[in-house]
Amino acid sequence: MDSLTIPATGRTPGVSFDFAGGHLRMTGESYPDVVAGFFGPVFDALRGYLAHPDGGAIRFDMELLYFNSSSAKALMNIFQMLETVAKAGRPVTLTWCVEENDESMRELGEDFAEDLRHVVFRMREIPSGGSP
Amino acid sequence: MLAQQYAAIKRDLDDKGILFSFSGYLSEGILYSLGEALREKMALEEADGPTIRRVFSVFVEQMQNIIRYSAEKMSGRAGRAVELSAGMVTIGVEDGKVFIVCGNTVRNGDVPRLKQRLDHLKSLDRNGIKSYYRERLREEPDDGSRGATLGLIEIARRASDPIDYDFNAMDADRSFFCLKVRV
Repeated sequence: MDSLTIPATGRTPGVSFDFAGGHLRMTGESYPDVVAGFFGPVFDALRGYLAHPDGGAIRFDMELLYFNSSSAKALMNIFQMLETVAKAGRPVTLTWCVEENDESMRELGEDFAEDLRHVVFRMREIPSGGSP
Repeated sequence: MLAQQYAAIKRDLDDKGILFSFSGYLSEGILYSLGEALREKMALEEADGPTIRRVFSVFVEQMQNIIRYSAEKMSGRAGRAVELSAGMVTIGVEDGKVFIVCGNTVRNGDVPRLKQRLDHLKSLDRNGIKSYYRERLREEPDDGSRGATLGLIEIARRASDPIDYDFNAMDADRSFFCLKVRV
């Protein structure tokens, strides 16, 4: 699979995983009515991609403006998958985008960063004004 | 008489500063619609994005707690699988702060454990809640029997004052559980 593209809905994130280019992005908001239903296929595609490493660097841009606690668990799963391949030597950078003044999202970024030893974690401030 | 009765209910809600109130069977669809209305209302009042998201976050976790844990559920097939959970949600403004109150029926057998979790959360300061969140985030999702769920911790974390809860015994089997959160 070269890519996985899922358009955003009101309550599920936009996913654009460009596997060929090693650039993965999640945008929008995440509070699906059935978390496993949404994230299941995302995990599967990612697992498939990471199982056949081309050794290339991976960039993950986390651009979600909001996610609920069930989605937090799912994101943790994704980052743990990335941490595993990073530990094995593949360069992985996670960029956690935060709207200026969004202290809650900044704190959440710090929570997730705490568990990443091999993934390079970056916090990036973006201008506010996205959908509330 | 009819208008008088309902005007009295409405006046009572207005006097309590209540903006939205819903009582009955809740679903993910209602969560979505009420959530949109809540955000639109706050956006019209020119609340900033992070504030709206903080209120919204507490609202979502509270609603999902009812949807998942209400002891009063109806399920079946109406063309597709349908599950409805009874409860109530009330959102208002009090002393310049938004508050969200959720209520639902719980089984009496579940009360002591729920009380223990809520008291534990209430006993923690900001940093305590933060490390508790981190600890629970790492644990396996199905390990729900120990400590508070991530959802409850998220609620406590976004609250500006300690969370408030109460139980009211209904009969030998069930109690009404209420959780009030100020954001």
